[in-house]
Amino acid sequence: MTAADREPPLLPPGLRERVLAASLRARDTGRPVPDAPEISAAEAFSRAASAFYTALCFLSDDDWRTPVLRDLDVQGLVGHLIGVEHDVRRALAGDPAVADADHVESTQAAAVRQAAGAPAGTRAEWRHAADRTLDLVRSADGRAVVALHGLRLPVRMLLIVRAFELWTHENDIRQAVGWAASVPDPSTLRLMTDLAARLVPQAGVGLGEATDVRLVLTGPGGGTWDVTVGSGPPTATSVAIVTDAVGFCRLAANRVTPAELDVSVAGDPARAAAVLFAVTTLALD
Amino acid sequence: MAARLAAGDDHALAEVFDAVARSVYGSALRVVGDASAAQDVVQDVFVELWTHPDRYDPAAGTLRTYLVVLARHRAVDLIRSEFRRLARQERTYRLTPEPGPVGVGDEMLAAETAGLVRAAVQLLPASQRRVVELVYFEGLTCREVASAVGIPEGTAKSRLRLALARLETLLDRQLLESS
Repeated sequence: MTAADREPPLLPPGLRERVLAASLRARDTGRPVPDAPEISAAEAFSRAASAFYTALCFLSDDDWRTPVLRDLDVQGLVGHLIGVEHDVRRALAGDPAVADADHVESTQAAAVRQAAGAPAGTRAEWRHAADRTLDLVRSADGRAVVALHGLRLPVRMLLIVRAFELWTHENDIRQAVGWAASVPDPSTLRLMTDLAARLVPQAGVGLGEATDVRLVLTGPGGGTWDVTVGSGPPTATSVAIVTDAVGFCRLAANRVTPAELDVSVAGDPARAAAVLFAVTTLALD
Repeated sequence: MAARLAAGDDHALAEVFDAVARSVYGSALRVVGDASAAQDVVQDVFVELWTHPDRYDPAAGTLRTYLVVLARHRAVDLIRSEFRRLARQERTYRLTPEPGPVGVGDEMLAAETAGLVRAAVQLLPASQRRVVELVYFEGLTCREVASAVGIPEGTAKSRLRLALARLETLLDRQLLESS
C-alpha cells in the first residue's frame, strides 16, 4: 500500500456545512446530553433546603460549635440563614426596609440569638423558616420582581440564588466538620449554572473592551453559553473557557479561586483570567 | 472533547469534523463506493455523535476510531438495506403481469459500483451472475434477459431471485470481514 492509498479522500465541497447544519437541527447548541429533567426554581430551592436540613440532622453537638464562616460557628451560620428567610418573606411582602439592607448586618441579630439555644431548636427553627418561605413562593408569580439586600430580581431568580446560598453554606459546614463536599442533583445544578453563566456579563461589566466569551461547563448540570463581557467598544477578541459545572459554581460562590479551578482556555489567557476573576465577584453564597 | 460535546459546545463538533471527517468519509466510501451515499453516511455519523455523545466511551478507543468504525457499520447497514429493498422489489416484479425495467437508475446505482458488491457478484454461479449483470449493470428486463441468454423468462426470474438471496449472504460476509 502506498502513502497515496492510505491518504483519505478529500471531502466534497459543502459537506462540512451540510453536516454541521444537520447536527444543529437535531440538537440545539448549549443543551447538555444527557439533559437533566427540568424543575421549577421553587423545586430547586426545596431540594437545596432538604439537603441542607439533612446535613444539619447529622451534626453532633460539638459540630454545632465548630467555627465555619466569618465569626460564626455552625449554629450562628444557621441563625444567619433563619434571618435571611425572615428578610425574604419581608421582601416578598414588599417591605422596603430590606430592599437595600446589608446581607450580613441585617441577619446578624438572628445569628447571635441562636448562640444561647440548643442546636435542635436552631435546626427546627430554620426548617420552619424555610418551609414558610416555600409556602409563600409556591403561590407567588415567579416573574414578580423583589428587592432584597441590594438585589432587584424576579422571584424565580431569587429562589435559584437561594438554592446557591444553601448549597454553598451546606458545604461550608461540611468542610468545617471534615465531611466530603456535596454536589447538587443535575436538575438543580442546571438552574444554578444557567443563572451564574447569565450573570457573567454583569460581573464583568468593568472589564473594559467587550469580549465574546464561550463558557462550556462540563458534567451533569452543565451546558454551553455565549456571553459578551465588558462594556467598552466591541473588539474581535473572544475566549473559550471550559471547566466543570460544579467547580464553576464554587467559583461563582467565591469558594475557590480561578487558580484552583481545573480550566481549559482558548484565546487570550489574560482575558480569560480576568473573566474568571470577575465570576468570583458574583459571590452567590 | 467528549465532555465538550456533551455540554453542547458546537465548536467542539466542528473541531472533531475538521480533524477526522476525511477518515470517516473514506471509511464510508470504501464500503458504499459512491460519493453521494458516503456523504449521507458521514452526516449520519456526525449527527449521531452530536445527539448521543455519551455513546462514545473514551476508554474503548480514540474518537477517530469510534467514528471510523461507526461509519463502516452505517455503510454496511446502507448496503444491506439496499439489497433487502431490491429483493422486495424483485418479488413485486415477479408478481406484476407487465413488468417494467428492474431497478435501473434507482439508488442501486449508488451501491452497484462498490468494489465489495462487484466482488460479491463475481462469487455467484455463472448462470446467476450473468442474469444479475444483465439486469443491474446493463438494465435489461427479465424478458430481455431470457431472450438474450436463451432461457425461459420464468427461469431468468428464478435465477435473479436466487442470485439476490445469495448476494445478500455473500455481501454480509464480505462486509463483516472488511470490518
